[in-house]
Amino acid sequence: MGSRAVKTEKYQLEKEPYYLPMGKEIELFESAYRNQIPVLLKGPTGCGKTRFVQYMAWRLKRPLITVSCHDDLTASDLVGRYLVKGGETIWIDGPLTKAVKVGGFCYLDEIVEARKDTTVVIHPLADDRRILPIEKRGEILKASPEFLLALSYNPGYQSVLKDLKQSTRQRFIAIEFLYPPKELEAEIIMHESGIDDNTALKLVTFAEKTRNLKDRGLIEGASTRLLIHAAKLIRSGIDTKESCSVAISEPLTDEREMLFALSEILVSLF
Amino acid sequence: MTSQLYQESLRTELVKNLSYYFEDEEIKETLVKIDFFDPKLRQKILALCIFLSKMSGYLINRILKYAEEASYHLSLNEMERWLGRAFDLIDSDGLEPALTFLSKVDDSSLNSFCYPEGLALEKISSRLVTYIRGISGVDLEIIQDKDCFTDTSTIYLPPVINRFREPEKNFTIYKLMATYKWAQIACGTFSLDSSKPKPCNTSDIETLFNNFQERALSLDLYNILEAFRVESFLQKHLPGLMRQAGSVKTEIFNERPSVDGFSEKTAFVESLYQYYLKRETNGSSPESLIRALKVLHAYREKERPSSQDICSLYTIAEYLKGDYVPVNPILFLGTIKPEKVSQRLKIKKEALKKNFHGLIKKIVSTPEFEVKLKRNNRDISRQRLINREKLYLFIKGMFIELDEEMGDFFKGKGGIPGILLQGSDIGGNNYCVEMDDLIEELDEESRETQSNGIKYDEWDYKRGGYRKRWCSLFEVDVYPSSEPFVEHTLKKYDGYVNILKKKFELLRRDPKILKRQKEGENVDIDATVEAFADIRAGLPSRENLFTKLERNERNIAVLFLIDMSGSTKGWVTQAEKEACVLMCEALEALKDRYAIYGFSGITSNRCDFYRIKGFQESYSEEVKKRIAGITPKEYTRMGPPIRHATKILKSIDARIKLLITLSDGKPEDYNAHYKGCYGIEDTRKALIEAKQQGIHSFCITIDKEASSYVPYMYGEVSYLLIDDVRKLPNKITEIYRKLTT
Repeated sequence: MGSRAVKTEKYQLEKEPYYLPMGKEIELFESAYRNQIPVLLKGPTGCGKTRFVQYMAWRLKRPLITVSCHDDLTASDLVGRYLVKGGETIWIDGPLTKAVKVGGFCYLDEIVEARKDTTVVIHPLADDRRILPIEKRGEILKASPEFLLALSYNPGYQSVLKDLKQSTRQRFIAIEFLYPPKELEAEIIMHESGIDDNTALKLVTFAEKTRNLKDRGLIEGASTRLLIHAAKLIRSGIDTKESCSVAISEPLTDEREMLFALSEILVSLF
Repeated sequence: MTSQLYQESLRTELVKNLSYYFEDEEIKETLVKIDFFDPKLRQKILALCIFLSKMSGYLINRILKYAEEASYHLSLNEMERWLGRAFDLIDSDGLEPALTFLSKVDDSSLNSFCYPEGLALEKISSRLVTYIRGISGVDLEIIQDKDCFTDTSTIYLPPVINRFREPEKNFTIYKLMATYKWAQIACGTFSLDSSKPKPCNTSDIETLFNNFQERALSLDLYNILEAFRVESFLQKHLPGLMRQAGSVKTEIFNERPSVDGFSEKTAFVESLYQYYLKRETNGSSPESLIRALKVLHAYREKERPSSQDICSLYTIAEYLKGDYVPVNPILFLGTIKPEKVSQRLKIKKEALKKNFHGLIKKIVSTPEFEVKLKRNNRDISRQRLINREKLYLFIKGMFIELDEEMGDFFKGKGGIPGILLQGSDIGGNNYCVEMDDLIEELDEESRETQSNGIKYDEWDYKRGGYRKRWCSLFEVDVYPSSEPFVEHTLKKYDGYVNILKKKFELLRRDPKILKRQKEGENVDIDATVEAFADIRAGLPSRENLFTKLERNERNIAVLFLIDMSGSTKGWVTQAEKEACVLMCEALEALKDRYAIYGFSGITSNRCDFYRIKGFQESYSEEVKKRIAGITPKEYTRMGPPIRHATKILKSIDARIKLLITLSDGKPEDYNAHYKGCYGIEDTRKALIEAKQQGIHSFCITIDKEASSYVPYMYGEVSYLLIDDVRKLPNKITEIYRKLTT
């Protein structure tokens, strides 16, 4: 049942997550938090949206509940449901309800993956009412000022099916995340993997080349996350080209011609 | 039709054409000569002969002799390539160059077709395009040519590289060629500075090189100069590739000729090429070479090319003795062709003008046009003040700054929308918008469309191959009509529309909750309560205690392609338009994604593709006006629109993709040759291509003779003949319902 979509291993972050700010995003997020406005994070996959939310939760000392959305996610998966246990029905809170109750951050990752009817349950929480009606129990929960709803969404998927409804969009402030500038991205890779700056820069250059191929055979270019994976492999002694191939090119595409072109680019760069 | 039947019909056609020139005996002789060739080649040979027979019958025997000669040197596959090249030349350059090509049947000319291990460009061009796009971030086209050069938007590469035995090494050569050409563009090789005085005071690279007395010499020298500069650029950006280049260079160096016996000038250029490859000179270099190397070394670190340096290098060479006989350029460096660059520039400028003009029209015709300036998201209009010297176009309360060329263009053109004003005539405190910012508004697609159209291949069944980039397709909007056609149609079909909507709504499968399921997301409270009661009562408990959400989404995208040829005039157009209205109403109820396009055109140079409703557009007033605006145009060349529709559908993410064509007859065009077999075969091929992309095609036709050709194009079950055109609007909705359930 739906509970597989919920990550509840830890709500309160103890260690500071590494995050390198790229612009005013921290200031904007804090301001939204203080004004009780929900936040929409836009940007390609693997560019640091989730990390940013973790960092902000740590910084503002709030518990964080993350839900990775998928197309089977129902409203009950978010709000909660009755389960049958030992001859009785008992109510179990969903992650959204939990977050409202504890006054934490609820982060719905890749919200467009969720079905449209599911998305609607967040509406009363995301406007000035800030309430969560729990229909099955006939309850209405009022969110505390500390509660914050954050969504992430990748506008890169140009499918009409995977677009966010205006009624949802127009409840949030939206912060756009792009791939970090070259030097910053290299710094992030160095920090996360412990690789030298020269290799980090080269990885970023390769990533830039793959980003050139977006919509020209690739759906998206290489993300910072992939670069970190490659860097970690390189650091543990695997050949650079091999690392880039298994950690960057192969995950990006299955198409032979594209893989061939990527490997040629790789050879030209290193 | 089988290939044997083709050959029979081609043979009959040829005999008919030849009878104007020859006696029966002679014709027989010719046919015997054709039969000499392998049956696999015969069709191509016949097609070539028919083409030639339209010019002169006497050419045929000559060409057959050449072909026979060539067949002694080439294998079957090689012969096919050789003939294919001849057809390509006919298509691109005309008869003369093709004849010259065919007449060269000596070993060295045919050599480039004997390449068991050689690498053909067509095999790898898609990879190469992706590679170049990746490293450069710009879209450069790659096209086959006998030389390697670029005109700044296309890279021309030779059809085959057979320098090495291993295909990987040949690919490296292609890669180097393409990369060097891109690097030349990126490094500004084709935009020389113009600040220096005579004789190099011109910016147009073509005019600059025309000023040199020995143009070939100056160009080769410039090629070398730039090679050094470009290489240090590549060294920095693509060190891996440059390592690969290193090993290739050594091999190429070993093949360069000795300079003994060359004139001083020729030897000078050859020595520079060799120096480029090996980076060393043999001990006793002439003084001219030493001076030249100094220039080269200073030049290689420069950011921009400079006309001064090419002048000084040329001056060194100019005083050397003897005539300059151009040496073979280094394989992967290719050549520089200023005339091609100028040509491209002119085309670009023309397109820009047209674009801008189109944009102005757009601004005028869209009531709520907002100037959205995308660059850096900043509102440039607030930052730029009016300059007294410049010329402005005043439209909708906005001053658009024109550059000199555009200014002249508008001054010379009557009837422009808006007012032309001199900067000094406008109050000083006004702000303006730059032309470039406005032009960014136009997306790439329309830019391409505006200039040369989108190119599509066309299938020529006679020669059993594609005519490459043969058709130019232009995507345009149907000119909207203010006639209340949609309202009239809705009135006319009043009751029917409502029934239709109901019918289609029924097809809609909204998600619904199924109760009492064995598995599901939620507990079915009613069932659970009952189960408790049952258990308490000592009955066996039931298992179906869950609710489950059932979603059967219709993931369908359909594109309607409407014949807008001249022959549809009258009732047919009327019926097509009504069909459009009813389909729109029905599909709006069903919520399937749909698009409607019309097509017509005249010759392969102008295939028009009319947008009535795109996939992303809603069924708006504008769309309704466009439906009302559907009018018969010219001819029915069906291949290009089907290929373009395929391209559009390919970009849509849907489980089922449908292409429904409404037609009133066979494919045909202005020139008779598309009529009949050719058009049918091309259309069939285009539909096969669509099928390969996972698109289902269906044809609705009103041509009573359709059964003789439509099943061949679309397949037996994929078409429907409507005997009375008036039934079309009712029928089409029925068909769609059946097709998608």
